[in-house]
Amino acid sequence: MNMQEQMKTLDYDVLVVGGGIAGGESALNLANIGYKVLIVEKELSIGGKMILLSKVFPTLDCAACITTPKVSEIARHPNITVFTGAEPLKITKKGEHRFEAVVLQNPRYVDVEACTGCQLCEEACPVSVTDEFQFGLIGRKAAFIPFSIASPRVAAIDIENCILCGACERACPPDCIDFTQTEQKYLVKAKAVVTATGFKLFDPLKIPRYGYDKFDNVITSMQMERELAPTRPFNTVLRPGDGKMPDNIAYVLCTGSRDKSVGNPICSQVCCMYSIKQAQLLMGSLPMADITIYYLHIRAFGKGFNEFYAQAQDMGVEFIKGKVGKITEKDNGNLILRYEDIEAGIVKEAEHDMVVLSVGVLPNRGIDEVFDNETLKLDPFHFINQSDILASPAKTSIDGVFVAGTASGPMDIPDSILSGGAASAETTSYLRREESI
Amino acid sequence: MARVNPEFTDELKKYGAFDPNACYNCGNCTAVCTLSDEENSFPRKMVRYSVLGLDSEIKTSLDPWLCYYCGECSKTCPREADPGELMMSLRRWLIAKYDWTGLSGLLYKSLAASITAFVVLAGLVVWFGAYEHFHLETIMHYGHLFEMFAISIVFTFILLPNIIHMWWLSVYKTGKKAPISAYFKAIGELIVHMFTQKRALGCDDNQFRWFEHFILVLGYLSLLFTTVFLDWFSTQSMFIIVLGYIESAVIFVVTFDFVRRRIQKDQEISKHSQPSDWFFVIWLFLMGLTAFLVRLFIDTNLLDANVWMYIVQLTVLVQWAMIIVPFGKWTHFLYRSFAMYFHRIIELSE
Repeated sequence: MNMQEQMKTLDYDVLVVGGGIAGGESALNLANIGYKVLIVEKELSIGGKMILLSKVFPTLDCAACITTPKVSEIARHPNITVFTGAEPLKITKKGEHRFEAVVLQNPRYVDVEACTGCQLCEEACPVSVTDEFQFGLIGRKAAFIPFSIASPRVAAIDIENCILCGACERACPPDCIDFTQTEQKYLVKAKAVVTATGFKLFDPLKIPRYGYDKFDNVITSMQMERELAPTRPFNTVLRPGDGKMPDNIAYVLCTGSRDKSVGNPICSQVCCMYSIKQAQLLMGSLPMADITIYYLHIRAFGKGFNEFYAQAQDMGVEFIKGKVGKITEKDNGNLILRYEDIEAGIVKEAEHDMVVLSVGVLPNRGIDEVFDNETLKLDPFHFINQSDILASPAKTSIDGVFVAGTASGPMDIPDSILSGGAASAETTSYLRREESI
Repeated sequence: MARVNPEFTDELKKYGAFDPNACYNCGNCTAVCTLSDEENSFPRKMVRYSVLGLDSEIKTSLDPWLCYYCGECSKTCPREADPGELMMSLRRWLIAKYDWTGLSGLLYKSLAASITAFVVLAGLVVWFGAYEHFHLETIMHYGHLFEMFAISIVFTFILLPNIIHMWWLSVYKTGKKAPISAYFKAIGELIVHMFTQKRALGCDDNQFRWFEHFILVLGYLSLLFTTVFLDWFSTQSMFIIVLGYIESAVIFVVTFDFVRRRIQKDQEISKHSQPSDWFFVIWLFLMGLTAFLVRLFIDTNLLDANVWMYIVQLTVLVQWAMIIVPFGKWTHFLYRSFAMYFHRIIELSE
């Protein structure tokens, strides 16, 4: 009770949990028709996974060129407030159109309003750690701007790794670094909630026989995505082991998808297509390279997908049917892939100088535990259950709580945006019901 | 033209196969298998044959015998189709197909038939004991004769024809014309694999299991030799007495560990136990233990007053020799090594 009294109360029409492309789309639609929206984003920037991607399939449009305008629109919209580095601790349904959420704002140790993003703190900071926004390909400082197109593009202090030397404080021209910041809790009142908590990538360490983290030149598809993105770390495609330009790259599909032995029996719906996309992009950036995709079944089911697949074949991407069983490393850093060539029925070994594990989509768990007095039902695979998947795909088991994007299951970007749109439409209809009473 | 037989997997399930129909043909099992190579890519091919019910393809294949069940394929199978257990079931199925008497198949498929066979044989032994008024020396005399006769009869009338049948199916029927010299050239393969199970060393995490198995085979064969030809139970030679003690102790210690593993199911190979597997390890354990105790009773002069001890030992021995050796899991010993032999012959014919 005492704590509740101390909490600052904020009033909104809709609370959107998650500021990725689906949550952002929902928020924008709702804000455009006049509702006040609060986006609570756990990461230091909105834009979700999409803002970190290279290009999108099957159009090969630049992902950042689609995301950044949307992200700026969200950030500047008069009806939208964004909390980054924040998460809901508890959401209580007090009645129809009456939700109360306790939102935790983690300290950034930087005054967001004052920071100009000049990056002098980055230069001054003596601590180097692995950069999670570049998926471990390079390092960053403990005082850092998350990534170049982050929103908000302001610094943050990684307090876990910070040695409190004060170098950033001294270097900061507008004096915006503030180590006295503490956790802040807000009581958010809203009339509806959109859960757009997204997905997690499969951790390939769970398949030790693929040697991820043990063999330097085995990377994940997200790491390759960063190597291909306009804001890429090396400004070209290199293999991490020795910086050599790879000329024989293998893709291992279904890494952690459709695999009961690692606890994820379902298809991730995007890996076939993003691998085909990356293969095409690689043929552009490394014209001499051979690309081989080891697949189980190519699932090219969307609009223009099959043509995109055929295009990759025409470009010379080699497709081999067979799941890679294990990977071993040679002294020169090249990798031997052992697989059964299903069409020939013969076990074979092939050498590649770089291997990309096409990791799957896993549920981002925990959002159901936030709901206090009602149960947010999950499906058997721990994604949010859509209670009426055909008629009202955004509906969840709680009236007034809607789901957008990959929080409800694996899907690609166009589907996520559609899903975000559906969630905003159903939220509007729910809110209008109150107004008409 | 092959004919698809969807009922074949139901038949196979009676031999223990888990769910081959779950397979989506990714080939992971073949790729993780350290024994699989370009000439013999398994187990997916066998899974495929099983799903389609191509029993004539399986019957003429030696692939099931080339697998030594490390369980890696089952552990990593994305569909949990359990290819390792499928290969094990195919070996049981093949044993049933090789066996001209048809009893192997009956005992594998019906637990009731197995138990009946065990009970009937136990009854016969006790009846024989009663018939001889439980006169120890007479029973031991016939018991010793039984060992010799059992070995020769089981081998001549059951195992030898079955091995010829196996050759007929896997070499002759496949149309591989091997010169006679190949049969001599490959004989080394037969002996090496029969006594060492060398191929099992190719399995990844298998060194200790191989070692246990190796000393078990040596212990078993030498105990057989010691009891049958050196007449362990009647000998006065100190050397032979001690040798027999060591051999029987090796058997029951190692098999005790095998039983423990099957109970704890801590490894992939010990997760699925069919009745035939239990009979095999338990009876082998009992063979070692009862033989050990009988000799101990002799050396402590207890046996004359405890004829039952010898009756128990004889019962275990008779059940072992009449059920498990000709029709049960023991036949692996022969079929595995002959499979390597035939496999080599086929290689030489190419």
